[in-house]
Amino acid sequence: MKYSKLLFFNILAVMFVAALLVEPALAQRHPFAVGGSEAAGAPSGLAGLLLTWQAKFHAALQAAARGLKDDPAAIATLLGSSFAYGVFHAAGPGHGKAVLTSYMVANETALRRGLALAGFAALLQGIVAICLVGVAAQLFRATAGQMNDAARLIELASYAAITALGARLALIKGRALRAALRTPTPAGRFACESIDDPADGHGHVHGPDCGHFHAPEPASLIASTFSWRDALATVVAAGLRPCSGAILVLVFTLSQNMFAAGVAAVLAMSAGTALSTGALASLAVHAKSAAMRWSGPESRRAQLIGRGAEFAAALLVLLLGGVLLAGYGLSRGGA
Amino acid sequence: MVHRNPFLIALLAFVAGIGSASAHPHVWVAVRSEVVFRDGKILGVRHAWEFDEMYSAFATQGLGKAGKPPTRAELEPFAKSSTETLSEFDYFTFAKQNNAKVAFKPPQDISMEADEKRNVTLRFFLPLETPVAANKPFSFQVYDPTYYVSFGLENKEPVTLARAPAGCSLSLVEPAPLLATDNQKLGEAFFQNMSPGADFGVKLATRAIVACP
Repeated sequence: MKYSKLLFFNILAVMFVAALLVEPALAQRHPFAVGGSEAAGAPSGLAGLLLTWQAKFHAALQAAARGLKDDPAAIATLLGSSFAYGVFHAAGPGHGKAVLTSYMVANETALRRGLALAGFAALLQGIVAICLVGVAAQLFRATAGQMNDAARLIELASYAAITALGARLALIKGRALRAALRTPTPAGRFACESIDDPADGHGHVHGPDCGHFHAPEPASLIASTFSWRDALATVVAAGLRPCSGAILVLVFTLSQNMFAAGVAAVLAMSAGTALSTGALASLAVHAKSAAMRWSGPESRRAQLIGRGAEFAAALLVLLLGGVLLAGYGLSRGGA
Repeated sequence: MVHRNPFLIALLAFVAGIGSASAHPHVWVAVRSEVVFRDGKILGVRHAWEFDEMYSAFATQGLGKAGKPPTRAELEPFAKSSTETLSEFDYFTFAKQNNAKVAFKPPQDISMEADEKRNVTLRFFLPLETPVAANKPFSFQVYDPTYYVSFGLENKEPVTLARAPAGCSLSLVEPAPLLATDNQKLGEAFFQNMSPGADFGVKLATRAIVACP
């Protein structure tokens, strides 16, 4: 494997790890958590800079929400800062981003489809928060404790959805990888040389398929793996858990009798979030297609890299779901 | 080959940034603390934490009758559930004596109250594991290491001494002119304090030092 390809896969790996590290304090339940368990890592460098912007937009958002009662024009500031906050807060819960990216690597190559999924996941996240506060708080006058309990249930459901999605993807992608490993070497520069298979380390393969195999088009393989059911499951797994920022804005505007403004602010937040997750999704698409292109789309190696990356991404979703569920159990047990 | 695609690099940088910067303060707390003495020893710290308007709206949601702010009794369940997991975060209170960490026991006298504007204040007494002699400098900071909560000291007399021996003094060592109620300054303060790998919570925390003769 060339250096550049190695580099690319390293970047991909780092990206996943970064996405996973977003929730370092999984097992800890924050005393002043709003809705779910959201925690921070130690920021540095560029991340630190973005964090300051995020905090600024959050402060601006709060100020605009406060000012709304006296000055209706503050709605423009509220929507603007909510959108910016959404962009920098990204998908809110870090696991949403990890699920979405992993799904993109495991399945998608169509950019437009990926962007649509990112958009729907962000919208769902906003709508869940609006429903939670709108129904629980407005209709049933739920208390903070009851809303936290409801949010924890939603959280548990989203973790279960992630685990289920991961298990399903791992099964499908595991089969595809096994099939790709069994596929005989296509004719070409390395005709009849099984360099990728340690079991045939002696250099030549003299099977009946030698020299006669044509690798299937990657595009046809990928197109055949798309399923609306999986896509829907991904949107649910990535977007089900509402974020604290949205719940806070909604509850605050509700207390000021301006719930509609809160709903508008949360939808603006979702739009901003969609932009960030969309960027992440398109990165995943680019990374995979670039890696496959650079290794030669027709080659057996490209096939193996593609299937291998898909299987790894599926395993990551499964692992993430397992870790989140375990963390949920731990924090419950400790409480 | 990565350098051939500047779009990808920009995207990567953006994603790496948002990936690791997804959490920041959601809750702001203005801290008022009282260092409690008895017989020349420091027993612990009594905290009064006032929450920002948004978190207060959350805490008081569904409570209070006929538009009135909720009573202490109404807020009790929430005060209890909020303080249940404080120990996992070292009560957000980090005390030292002779450069050694001093541990606290679970909080006592927990209560929460809402003022006329429905802003809530959480009060509790945090006893030291074992009372320490007051004649050696004792110091503490209040911050959230995860930076989900931004703690800041109250503007006027944030830290006081109760039943302290004569001659005891208190000094505050501030990292930057940053005050809890002044969120507008938060951005600027970040830039002044920021260094790579910095822990924002502790970087922005004021240290209160108690010195007795």
